[in-house]
Amino acid sequence: MPRVGLEVKAVSATKRVSPGLGHPPTGEVTKLVDVSVCIGCKACEVACKEWNDLPPNPDRPFTGSYQTRPDLDYDFWQLIKFNEVDRGGRLVWTLTKFQCMHCEDPGCLRACPAPGAIVQYANGIVDFVQENCIGCQFCVTGCPFDVPRISPTTGKVYKCTLCSDRVAAGLEPACVKACPTNAISFGTRPKMLAQAEERVQRLKADGYTEATVYNPPGVSGTHVIYVLPFGNEPELYGLPKNPRVTFVNLWKGPLKWLGNTVLFGGILGAVLHYFRFGPREVNGKGAGASHQERVQ
Amino acid sequence: MEQRTEQDGGILRYTLGERIVHWVVALSFVYLLLTGLALFYPPFYWLVGLFGGGPVVRYWHPIVGVIFFGALVVMLLMWARDMRLERHDREWLRHMGDYAVGREEAVPPSGRFNAGQKLLFYLQFLAGTLLLLSGVVLWFPLSFGRLVREASFVVHDLAAIAAMGALILHIYMGVFVIRGSWEAITRGTVSRRWAEAHHGLWFRQLRAAGSRSQE
Repeated sequence: MPRVGLEVKAVSATKRVSPGLGHPPTGEVTKLVDVSVCIGCKACEVACKEWNDLPPNPDRPFTGSYQTRPDLDYDFWQLIKFNEVDRGGRLVWTLTKFQCMHCEDPGCLRACPAPGAIVQYANGIVDFVQENCIGCQFCVTGCPFDVPRISPTTGKVYKCTLCSDRVAAGLEPACVKACPTNAISFGTRPKMLAQAEERVQRLKADGYTEATVYNPPGVSGTHVIYVLPFGNEPELYGLPKNPRVTFVNLWKGPLKWLGNTVLFGGILGAVLHYFRFGPREVNGKGAGASHQERVQ
Repeated sequence: MEQRTEQDGGILRYTLGERIVHWVVALSFVYLLLTGLALFYPPFYWLVGLFGGGPVVRYWHPIVGVIFFGALVVMLLMWARDMRLERHDREWLRHMGDYAVGREEAVPPSGRFNAGQKLLFYLQFLAGTLLLLSGVVLWFPLSFGRLVREASFVVHDLAAIAAMGALILHIYMGVFVIRGSWEAITRGTVSRRWAEAHHGLWFRQLRAAGSRSQE
């Protein structure tokens, strides 16, 4: 696995990470999806499957919809959602390229119990390392966007890598390269944020007064951001309004300490109780001797 | 009942069937606890090494969980009569402090199981039920909605912590405090003194049944 360009920031089930020498020359990277420019051609889907060597799957036949598949899958890491929305009696197609959001505060990584199965690189990409994955799917529950999917054949979980292998080599992700309308851009984070803001201003000038950048603060921002024309209603695009990592905090906080108290407190209590009161023996000598006399 | 009377100079406390069911529950639970701890706390992840590694543990933990729960249900049916809470159990609970510090002579006599054992059993059964229900969600998370998944994690953790506390108490009492319990749950028999000291009502019932059968 390449290391230059993929310096590690966080590792699942591992408290301290030695980041190694150096830092990515790019700094943090971000992919920007402007859904207002997407024409639903699905070139990105094809490019994704081609680069990542994910051939067509006969177990997932075509279901007769504009949308290639009903949902993400272990061998289908990004999907154009053909959401049909009713806006004042008018049909609006909110075509949305959906994939892993590469959260700055990734719920999947925090929920993962297997050391090294999920890593976050210093450039912001969150990657699954299948060699270390145990298939527990805690990441599925930890993910606020419902992205990871398990393969029934390998028992491992897969998702978009943001083409970490290409990015480490200085290339843009395959989907970005394939997009014919520039609906997808990729670059350093400050540049992408500025570009998103600029596009939002243009949409607002065109009458989309609610247009915003989707970069949810509940997960400390994402490394895949959107420009949404109806930005006040991200649900129209199949995106959660305020994604947050909730239960993992409860688990790694109060529940962990309750568990510690019961486990170590219980053992310590038993030892102390034994020192003070000892065993109860009714058949011979021992602490229960007086008791034994009473029984007879 | 005839099986529970005297045998080899001792009293048969647990039949062979009861002992087998107990140990299926016990061993499966210990496996579940150790592998569960490995998945709950990263510092205990090394425990998966004892059981074949992470993917193997992930594969077997839910299956052993179903075996555990099945045996627990058999146990409930098997001991339903003896586990019924009775009037004298309330008296026993009032003297739980005396029992805890070893003044058993001050504690009212109990039936085949004392009130503490009964409550512990019901706590374990409740925890086991919650663990099974939430465990099915963790087993197949993609078949359930977001809220159900997240709630199941919390329920699974809380129930496991309760069951772990109950297990620590149970092992401590059975192995270290009440001498003779280990023989009872492995070989099946206890002495007359043991029965009279720890389960007076049960002992009296057995004696009454014994004298009746001799007539």
